[in-house]
Amino acid sequence: MNRSKGGVPLFAFVVTAVFFYAPLLVLVCFSFNASRTMTWSGFSLRWYGELLFHSADLWHALGRSVIIALSSSVTATALGTLGAIGIYWYNFRFKRYISIASFLPLILPEIIMGVSLLILFAAVGLPLSLFTIFIAHVTFNLPFVVLIVSSRLDEFDYSVVEAAYDLGAREWDALVKVVLPISLPGIVAAFLIAVTLSLEDFVITFFVAGPGSTTLPLQIYSMIRFGVSPVINALSVMLLAASIALAFLGKGVYRYIFQR
Amino acid sequence: MKKTLRCLPLLLVALLCVCGGARRQKLYVYNWTYYMPPDVLDDFRKKFNIDLVYDVYPSNEDMFAKLKSGAKGYDIVVPSGDFVSIMIHEGMLAPIDKKRLPNFACIDTAVLRRVTFDQGNQFSVPYMMGASGIAVNKTQVARYEHSWSIFDRADLKDRMTMLDDMREVLGAALKYLGYSVNSVDTAELAKAKAVVLGWKKNIVKFDAESFAKGFASGEFRVVQGYAENIFKEYDSTRRDEVDFFIPAEGGPMYMDNLVILKNAPDKEAAYAFINYIHSPEVFARIVDYLGYPCINTAARPFLKRKPNYELADLRNCEFKEDLGEKLELYNRAWEEIRMGN
Repeated sequence: MNRSKGGVPLFAFVVTAVFFYAPLLVLVCFSFNASRTMTWSGFSLRWYGELLFHSADLWHALGRSVIIALSSSVTATALGTLGAIGIYWYNFRFKRYISIASFLPLILPEIIMGVSLLILFAAVGLPLSLFTIFIAHVTFNLPFVVLIVSSRLDEFDYSVVEAAYDLGAREWDALVKVVLPISLPGIVAAFLIAVTLSLEDFVITFFVAGPGSTTLPLQIYSMIRFGVSPVINALSVMLLAASIALAFLGKGVYRYIFQR
Repeated sequence: MKKTLRCLPLLLVALLCVCGGARRQKLYVYNWTYYMPPDVLDDFRKKFNIDLVYDVYPSNEDMFAKLKSGAKGYDIVVPSGDFVSIMIHEGMLAPIDKKRLPNFACIDTAVLRRVTFDQGNQFSVPYMMGASGIAVNKTQVARYEHSWSIFDRADLKDRMTMLDDMREVLGAALKYLGYSVNSVDTAELAKAKAVVLGWKKNIVKFDAESFAKGFASGEFRVVQGYAENIFKEYDSTRRDEVDFFIPAEGGPMYMDNLVILKNAPDKEAAYAFINYIHSPEVFARIVDYLGYPCINTAARPFLKRKPNYELADLRNCEFKEDLGEKLELYNRAWEEIRMGN
């Protein structure tokens, strides 16, 4: 490949990078601003101090968000993976329609999902709490997991499974020793997407949150009546640092798992 | 994968434990954001050994929608006056037994007499009373009157903002003309609309979110808004640059009130909380934190800071009331103001 002809792609890359990272850069800068206004008045760690020692509500909200994200993603990944394998592996009546129906929630507007879940919980008499948020997040994460794991399964050659049967594997062995390892990258990707979706969800969570179950997006929303506090900037920078660290760490783990 | 599956029930159990919680006495309060200092809440937890769960909302509408859509379990919410009357009407509130609130007697009787939305305070206990006013940057504007007429000044054109809130803006215009902020008279509203259209020529925009930041950065010189929003953007050293006043003609004002919900799980803890909030030293700490006028007579000697404005500044102001169906008149006028020129 002739590398000197990269002018246009390079330009496109720079524009995209600026587009993506300029807001983040502004955010990072202002989190170190000494004053609370948008005018620069000197470097200070004041907002980080405020965040660490005087923002218990934010930390509680973040804690709830993390609990919900991890628990709902693990559950959704487990159920969704089994579902995807089930659709892939077995033949049954209406299979086509069932697989289409399982993707419907993907295109359903979030607000409809929120309202319908709320009505369901009210009808069943389940009081709104962290548990209802957990159920809601599992619900909206499921179709994503099914979609991602299925697309991985569609790619791989079914003859591998037949070969496993020929070599004396039972159904269980074929599942655990062949299908699951092959679809593992899809499962990991689905899990990560589920965590992200769950952490940032506002609309559905807004409907199904009950007393004492404010998640981080809900907490931030209720704080912006008084303008975006610099404490939120500081928190965003810390979350940003955490996600970058995770991304690099994740890359290492990924290599360790798949490229031994 | 097998491991993950095996962990799943454990995770569910852990989650249920989080939801279930310990068996200590619990109180759920649902209040506006930044409306009570955290240390006051912590002191309450310690003093009464009650597990206080404190959630926040950004507007009356959010709170009302949440409760109506089936959020059960809150004991105390803090609606504004118009929403108190709506919630009384909907049968959502438990009557207040003043015998269980010794500190109710500390509240200024002159303030209680003005309460129209719940006469005799049978369902609500006043928390804070305030109004939107006008903030002027004194370093940029030399001479001005304490009147809504400041928005008529062409020399300040494109340097002023008003709230994006029809009751606040039309209410200001109605008061400016000498009418009630709750007027439902079409002729009066038409005149108020004409006044607002005149102001609209001079202001940059109707803005309820970022006006305070723009004001603090010097972009706007005169803004209509709430004192707490504006001073939140200022460090204590620069406060003197700002003159915040309630116009002499008066304007719309509000009162936020502590109420106990009819389906509150723990009314005893709720009474303890309300009584605690109105104990003089505690209330003085809250007023110092918020900068609101102090409606608790017994708390006044404990104040360490001068409030942003005084009760006397509100003498000509009027509570915004729930207008029911008549609100449509305001909607229409406001729509014409936003569209027209």
